[in-house]
Amino acid sequence: MLKKRGYFFVLDAVLALTVLVIGVFLITSSYVNVPQPAQVSLLSDDLLNFFSNRKIMDLNNPYAGIGGTLWNQGTITDADNSLLQQIGEFYAKNKLDIAEKFIQNVSAGVMPPQFRYEVWMNNAILYPRTPSVEHLKSKNSTELLLTSKKLTFGIINKTTSNIWGPYKAEVFIWER
Amino acid sequence: MGAIKIRPKKGIFFTFIAITIMAVFILVSTPQADTSLQKDTQAIRTRISSVDTYVDDLENRYFETVLRATTYKTILSLIFYINSTGSYITDMDSAFSEVMLTGKIGGMPIDSITRKKIMENNTLADWNDRIIKTSKDTLNANTTIIINKVSVFQTKPWDIESLMEVNFTVKSNVAEWKKSATITTTIDIEGFHDPYYLVNTNKEYTNQVKKSTVESNKWDTAKVREHLRNGTYVYWENSDAPSFLMRFTNTIAGSSCCGIESLVNPNKISPEDQRESYVDYLFWVHTYNSRCSELYNITNPPTSLGLWDEFRYFKLDFNHVTMYNITAQDAVKTC
Repeated sequence: MLKKRGYFFVLDAVLALTVLVIGVFLITSSYVNVPQPAQVSLLSDDLLNFFSNRKIMDLNNPYAGIGGTLWNQGTITDADNSLLQQIGEFYAKNKLDIAEKFIQNVSAGVMPPQFRYEVWMNNAILYPRTPSVEHLKSKNSTELLLTSKKLTFGIINKTTSNIWGPYKAEVFIWER
Repeated sequence: MGAIKIRPKKGIFFTFIAITIMAVFILVSTPQADTSLQKDTQAIRTRISSVDTYVDDLENRYFETVLRATTYKTILSLIFYINSTGSYITDMDSAFSEVMLTGKIGGMPIDSITRKKIMENNTLADWNDRIIKTSKDTLNANTTIIINKVSVFQTKPWDIESLMEVNFTVKSNVAEWKKSATITTTIDIEGFHDPYYLVNTNKEYTNQVKKSTVESNKWDTAKVREHLRNGTYVYWENSDAPSFLMRFTNTIAGSSCCGIESLVNPNKISPEDQRESYVDYLFWVHTYNSRCSELYNITNPPTSLGLWDEFRYFKLDFNHVTMYNITAQDAVKTC
């Protein structure tokens, strides 16, 4: 009879331990599953800030940088343009395909792979120009789609000081 | 010894208590949806930062860019206006301000006089309207811009400077910015047509401003020949030449900072042979017409030197013969 009493305490301890383990598991798992609006929001701001603060002259990119394909073709002429201004200039000159490829090149490696994004200029989508079905499906089904906006403008011809803009530049970001 | 009585039901209370405490602990510790005041603060901070960046862009980049663009177009329009009307501008600052702000001169749209679409949708007011609309659309910010003054002047011979005094307010739902700024910008005069030639030759002889590359102590007859061929301009310190802006109002007097001059090509005027110094600002005001003894033909018949082989009848006054370093073997007195 005395031996049996010990089992109760052991069982009680095991039960208590189980409750503790489940409790800790629930708490830690709930931490992991919290959505990350702040992170996505920061990403959209970061991408737009990257576009507006980084200049062509700062790029080391064989397609978009100084001495790169676009530079040698004479498509990019002002190394002092920010990336956002260059995108705006392409839009103003109706070089939308080049704008798309430019965005793809300069943003490669900047965005974590689990996120999708779009770049719009003056309410026209520049990247991706023709979104895939998966892209649209992902955008429509996401629970958290965030956007950052900025104004941009620039000069097309330095001699005559012809201006393009001001345009609304917009970045949309969401998790796949 | 009596047997110990076991009350198995009591243990379950401890278990319930443990579960209850654990449940309370879980509820307290589980992170809630982030709708706290901290998140609101973060959102407001982001919003203020966005609008602040816009205000900074507006003050330090947009106004300067727009001022430069409209200054260029206004000067171009005024040259076409002089070309169309054949007369000079009475008050340069007033005309410049009116064209730049409204696209009109004397109350009439300047584009309708020049028949060129230069100022249409390109006045300062148009560009201000555009940024007001875009900032509303992009940042939901209400921008008010009041331009108090615009003016144009020169402090360097080859540049035009313009100035704009502006008050602006940017109001968003979280904050308001009120600012005053004086914006200045500079444009190059090279490439513009000289209005002085347009009026004096009734548009038959036009000359675009192009800076001579010859240094002041390197002039000789060969360089003067190139100077004439290319219609280039030169700046001499403390000369009596007018600045580029003074040529819009026919103010032919010495500019202390910015006087520039070119040489009139005798092959482009009629009659070619005139008793004048062919320096542009002296030629059409007939400064040397009655002072023939001070004029020199830039030729020397016995040696066949000088410039008359290409620019027959070209003459200069004594001062300019000296300034351009033309020697006696290339020049003879006119009278």
